Amino acid sequence: MDTPNGTGAADVASVTEELHAYLSGHLGRALGQDEDYFALGLVNSLFAIELVNFVEQRYGVEVTVDDLDLDHFRTLGRLRDFVLVKTAGRGAAA
Amino acid sequence: MPPVTAVKAVACHQPDQVLPVAELPGLAELTEGERETCARLGIDEVRADESLTSFDLALRAARQALAEARLTAAEVGALVLVDARVPETLMSSAATRLQAALGAERALTFSVGGLGCVSLTPALLTARGLLAADGDLDNVLVVHGSKPPTPLRYRHPVTVSGDGGAAAVLGRRGPVRVLDIVQETNGDHWDLFRVEYRDRPTARWREECRDIPQYSFRLAVESRIRLRELYERLLTRNHLTTEDISCHLSHNLSEGTFRFTEEALDVKISPTCADNLRRYGHLGPNDVLLNLRTELDRGGLAEGQRAVLLSASPVAAWSLLLVEAGEGATTHYL
Repeated sequence: MDTPNGTGAADVASVTEELHAYLSGHLGRALGQDEDYFALGLVNSLFAIELVNFVEQRYGVEVTVDDLDLDHFRTLGRLRDFVLVKTAGRGAAA
Repeated sequence: MPPVTAVKAVACHQPDQVLPVAELPGLAELTEGERETCARLGIDEVRADESLTSFDLALRAARQALAEARLTAAEVGALVLVDARVPETLMSSAATRLQAALGAERALTFSVGGLGCVSLTPALLTARGLLAADGDLDNVLVVHGSKPPTPLRYRHPVTVSGDGGAAAVLGRRGPVRVLDIVQETNGDHWDLFRVEYRDRPTARWREECRDIPQYSFRLAVESRIRLRELYERLLTRNHLTTEDISCHLSHNLSEGTFRFTEEALDVKISPTCADNLRRYGHLGPNDVLLNLRTELDRGGLAEGQRAVLLSASPVAAWSLLLVEAGEGATTHYL
């Protein structure tokens, strides 16, 4: 799988871009980094599962019960930070 | 080898009165979005009879189960009532009331519950424990009468509840053996859904979700993780693979929940569940008993075939039952 790789700054940009494309495509509107798509009522249970599946498969991470704090997932910016933390230590989001 | 736990009979009692979902009481008070969600659940109608209490439904199902097992009430060794969502009176005992109404004077009698729609599982665990611990005891009658706690019947954004009773007679021999039971709970969600009832008339009781984003995200994703882990554990410790399971039966909340479970476990939920969902809505802990009974009636479980029965509850409880049809078992029982 082709995953983001490179310097830290490039990772932030590429992860942000990918997540923005994924979320905007599935939620039917462009989202700002701090827009809470859960509070906006745009997310149902099935999409929540799809979102976690996407993060796991795209970035090669495992989302465990301990990770299930809604604050990690409620905005594009927070989701990006979560991905970067989960992939930290591997040098890149890969 | 520990004694076998088997289902001797399962009986379900549905009231005759049909209530189309389009005519649910209180529908007009919902927002447009809530009404749209309700209409997309995959439920066409429920059975609803305001003249029957949850106790009446339990009693009718219990009598039916005893008749089908060809047992008299005097032969019931234990009576385990799964608590109603709302007791008719406080301090009194619905379990011993049922004992008296049935005439099951010799039955060890009590109630279990506390896990919402998963509350059938503690009843089955209790039955299995009693049968294993007391060689003189046989015929454990497990009973539940299901009625929604509020007049509205719609629980946003989850399901529509109907009325129905179900009962099962468990013993050491029977046409369906209970091979294994697994259950987990997470107390963090103990009041994710609740009904405030003090100091307000029944007509104003509502099933309310404390935090819909938490329900849509945390509980959904956690359920996927928990169900996967439980399913893997259930199969592994019984030396089985998915290919060894002929049938997967779910609780009945919505079409979306069936898809959710299918995706989470990479299995196909039996069409029996969607059929019962469409006709009866959600019946709490009775869903899996109704689905098992229907599947057996349809011939969907032949001798030697295994089924997994899945239940989950918004109080964050999950359970899986592994059962096998036929008395000529080849499986090593736990």
